[in-house]
Amino acid sequence: MIVAALLVATSACAGGARRGSEGEILVFAASSLTESFAAIGGSFERAYPLARVRFNFGPSDGLANGIEQGARADVFASASETTMDVVARSPGVVGRSVFARNRLVVIAPKDSTRVAAFADLAVPGVKLVVAAASVPAGKYARQALDQGGLHAALRNIVSNEVDVKSVVQKVVLGEADAGIVYATDVTPTVAARVRTVPIPDAYNVIASYPIARVKGTRYEALAGAFEAYVLGPGQDALRAAGFLPSS
Amino acid sequence: MARRASDAAVPPPGLTVLAALGIAFIALPVVGLAVRAPWSDLAALWTPATRSALKVSALVTFGATALALMFGLPAAIVLARSKARAAPLIRGLILLPFVLPPVVGGIGLLAALGRHGVIGRGLAAIGIELPFTTGAAVLAAAFVATPLLVLAVEGGIRSLDPRLEQAAAAMGASRWYVLRRVTLPLLRPHIVAGLVLAAARALGEFGATITFAGNIAGRTQTLPLSVYETLQSDPGAAILQALLMVAVSLVAMVALRGRLLSR
Repeated sequence: MIVAALLVATSACAGGARRGSEGEILVFAASSLTESFAAIGGSFERAYPLARVRFNFGPSDGLANGIEQGARADVFASASETTMDVVARSPGVVGRSVFARNRLVVIAPKDSTRVAAFADLAVPGVKLVVAAASVPAGKYARQALDQGGLHAALRNIVSNEVDVKSVVQKVVLGEADAGIVYATDVTPTVAARVRTVPIPDAYNVIASYPIARVKGTRYEALAGAFEAYVLGPGQDALRAAGFLPSS
Repeated sequence: MARRASDAAVPPPGLTVLAALGIAFIALPVVGLAVRAPWSDLAALWTPATRSALKVSALVTFGATALALMFGLPAAIVLARSKARAAPLIRGLILLPFVLPPVVGGIGLLAALGRHGVIGRGLAAIGIELPFTTGAAVLAAAFVATPLLVLAVEGGIRSLDPRLEQAAAAMGASRWYVLRRVTLPLLRPHIVAGLVLAAARALGEFGATITFAGNIAGRTQTLPLSVYETLQSDPGAAILQALLMVAVSLVAMVALRGRLLSR
């Protein structure tokens, strides 16, 4: 009884303190944000007890197309400016800003020695897995190979995965000799099973992650609060996951 | 007024309403695809990407159906006739891919035949690496397609009159002779139905394929994988590809139903 009364009282207070912060928002986020946004969502809900945040993680291009086709997203966090452009054209976005940056790394199975340096990706017979060219991670990977002059590595690609997390999976399972993923994909669990091979800064591609409210959201205030949270207190979780600051 | 006996075959009106809803539920997504399809942009369908996906799909479907026939047919016959105590368990086991999420099947195939798999490790030692090959795509499709053939053939065996085979055996026919000249001809309609079902399932296979064989154009990218990848960047073209699959599958299913019901 007392507990229930307390709960009602506190939630009433919180609701009163932050008006417009009730409701449930749906955030579409690039799959590379899976861990960090899950953490941010948790702390956001603690800060806004009447708010619920639900996530739909997936490849940025697919998410953008989904929103364009009418999926009810309130906030979109993308791994590339071009996929954000798709949503900006239709249905339109509000408050677009870059909240993080990410760089690429090569990962290889821990027990394999085939790939010790970035240039090894071009050695004939190396089984390389990347994301499909339409996915930002796949586009950046090809760009990095191109800038490194590793055109032969393109012939080593044995699979174009539909998103970057599938690339990680193939390397963790030891089926591929190497994969190109974001630095942030090497989570503690993944790090225990793969070796990280850096991509030299001169060839690396730094991905900018934009976030924005999708035009027509029913919870404008709450969506804005979440966006502000990602740009503010949420930065710690992003840094912890290995993202670079936005500038 | 007495109702005519032939009226008894006409379903009551309430049932027709439910039936209409059921049919609409299945038909609506197909209608939705047809409505959404960019028909004016039909050329988007005949791209090199679609052609190569069609080629891979044809190869994979054929290979998987052949494997299903080669191993599924004997399995169905042996299991249907077996009186072993473990037979019901094995019968259930062989149907597992039918209900398992295909992605799980793909991970299972990796665990068995991947580079670090139970058998894959040995294969890798002699230079055979299955993942990311067309062979892997064929195996993935065969994994999900075989149960359908087994199911169709087992049903057929149960409906056979055992006296026909007994008569042949009594007249001195060998077991192989009975199988070839009596059992298999009697099972023919069921085998054909099983083949069509298995081929249709192999054609539509996605999850096990992308997990076990990966996605590379011209090698493991079947039509469903191509639909999925295209969907991310060009939904219109993906819908056209999907409708192509709908057309092929619909022809297969209608032909199959015609066979099954006309018997």
